[in-house]
Amino acid sequence: MTFIISMKLSHKGVVNIFHNEYILEEDKISSLHEKSYLSASKTSSKKWKKVREFCIEKALLLVSILSGLMILIIFAFIAAKSAKVFQANGIKFATTLGFDRQIWQAARSVVDQPVKNFGALGLIIGTLYTSLGALLISAPIGILTAVVITELAPKWLRRPFQTFIRYLASVPSVIYGLVGILVIVPFIKNHFITLEMQTKYISYFQMTGRSFIAGVIVLSFMILPIITALTIDALKAVPRRYKEAAYALGFSPWRTIVKVLLPSAKSGIFAGIILAVGAAMGEAIALSMVIGGIPNVPNPAMCSNPLDSLYTPVLTLATAIVNKSETLSGEYTSSALFACGVLLLVTCAILSFLSKAVDYIVKRRVGLE
Amino acid sequence: MNKRLARDYVGYILSWLAMSITVCICLGIFIYLFVNGISQLSPDFIFKQPVPTSNERLSGGISTPIIGSLLLTFIGIIIAFPWSLATAIFLNEYASKNKLAGILRMGIDVLSGVPTIVIAIFGLAIFTNPQFAFLSEMVPGSDKALGRSFLVAGVTMAVMVLPFMIKTCEEALKTVSNTYREASLALGASKVQTIFKVVLPASKDGLITAITLGIGRIIGDTAIVWLTLGDTLKIGNGSAPWWMPNNILNTLKGTGSTLTSFIFYASPAGEGNQTSKAFGAALVLIIIIILINLLTDFIGGFKKRVSE
Repeated sequence: MTFIISMKLSHKGVVNIFHNEYILEEDKISSLHEKSYLSASKTSSKKWKKVREFCIEKALLLVSILSGLMILIIFAFIAAKSAKVFQANGIKFATTLGFDRQIWQAARSVVDQPVKNFGALGLIIGTLYTSLGALLISAPIGILTAVVITELAPKWLRRPFQTFIRYLASVPSVIYGLVGILVIVPFIKNHFITLEMQTKYISYFQMTGRSFIAGVIVLSFMILPIITALTIDALKAVPRRYKEAAYALGFSPWRTIVKVLLPSAKSGIFAGIILAVGAAMGEAIALSMVIGGIPNVPNPAMCSNPLDSLYTPVLTLATAIVNKSETLSGEYTSSALFACGVLLLVTCAILSFLSKAVDYIVKRRVGLE
Repeated sequence: MNKRLARDYVGYILSWLAMSITVCICLGIFIYLFVNGISQLSPDFIFKQPVPTSNERLSGGISTPIIGSLLLTFIGIIIAFPWSLATAIFLNEYASKNKLAGILRMGIDVLSGVPTIVIAIFGLAIFTNPQFAFLSEMVPGSDKALGRSFLVAGVTMAVMVLPFMIKTCEEALKTVSNTYREASLALGASKVQTIFKVVLPASKDGLITAITLGIGRIIGDTAIVWLTLGDTLKIGNGSAPWWMPNNILNTLKGTGSTLTSFIFYASPAGEGNQTSKAFGAALVLIIIIILINLLTDFIGGFKKRVSE
């Protein structure tokens, strides 16, 4: 027996099935499907099914809206908690120095006269310096590593290399911090910090090797796999014919990479770099272990050798929250830390959004999509 | 011509140098942890409770951090997986290309860029409200909840892994060919039946990948643990073993520690300052993470073999 089944999918996904002689009604098929031969009335089962479909769809819709709005919920809660400090300081919160001392004073102040003034400029500068420093180190290394993995390495080596990158990406941040504090920090202390520097800075802080440069190195380890992985994706997305055309024009393999492959992949590479900056800015635990915890601004003018300022401690927005987490129970101190969170959240949200936008815009301009 | 050749070679050398730096960092970290941590690994280290003391010989093992890690991961995945799967189903099956889905996807994408420390203080901000005291406990003598417990940390972790798991779940659902859906609908199955009886079973491997991804992220995170779980070395309130049925709720509402927070605590940056314990815990953590990665690879490889 042959059935001619023609299917018409309307936009809501309702299916009509036509038999060659008569039309099988939808509820008949579905009741057969549900093995409910004994159901008392078919109409009620159909009704119930419709209700169920409706309920499940709406439930899924609600859950999805919750996930989509989560970012706004997070922002609302953190902003509400930080309102006190923003009310007391306004824009000065982002333009004045001295966060460390203020937190210290606020934590010890009596309840009647709370310290309300906070200035996070030192943290903002620390955040920018560390993440850009890390980017300077790891962007070239990451991009060249990706070039090796996609173009230069022999085929049998490519998969193991990629596995290395994946494992590097999955190492938890606290382990980077542990390696940093047990290897990099003592190394800096033993080899770069001299007695002269110790005495020069002794009125401000002790030079323990926990420093700006240690933070930059640890951060650059951490964002290296992000940049590499996204560059690999971008390079793999470049159409093969671009490379063949370049070879046909007599380009050497290296010239093809520099002049053809990397420019065509630049949208993905930019997106990866922006994402990596976001990750670097938000990194808290590993950095707080190696960075020193004093929101000092590295000042090259203070020493005879400008490079010495690299070994001074800094503090970033994210590490401030971890470092001062004991004060999260205080009214104004917690509000100040939440304010740091707001700055961080807004910056990272913008970067995250930008990364998508850059990918989209540049891709359209290059004509890949 | 010679100049060009030289330039090519400089390029090659620089690239391979970069590659070897990357490989050295990766190998270096693993070997360093292995060399320093292997002497710690013993049944005592794994199964004994940590003791807060400055004497390294008496400071015990890491049993409660291991249990804490597993417990927290379990709670986080139990919450995050249905949540992200529901979102992925809605985005992919019901609203794949309309405007609402675009907006929701954008929100989820932006969420994936939010640092974990921000999500951690969000957890604190929301769960210290007294209405949420049922997840932790009230602070004695105040009108605030403590906001630190396994349940609180689990929910916060779920928020953290949500965007990543949604994305992986959605990719898993996308791999299911449309012909499956059409065939199911043609047989008269409803949309919900199609999703639950056809699409989800067909995308099982991808969904398992999403779960392993979530596990890897939760088990490796420290910031959320540090702020919303606390770093008490013991687990449960001590009146009975933590796993006893009449005590498990107290355990879940109490504070604890995980492997990551134990490493932080035992490193020179924390109060414990017991480097060898930190190495041991770090090695255990790395081994767990390598196993999770291998599991993901195995699922992926298996799938490839089946499809070939």
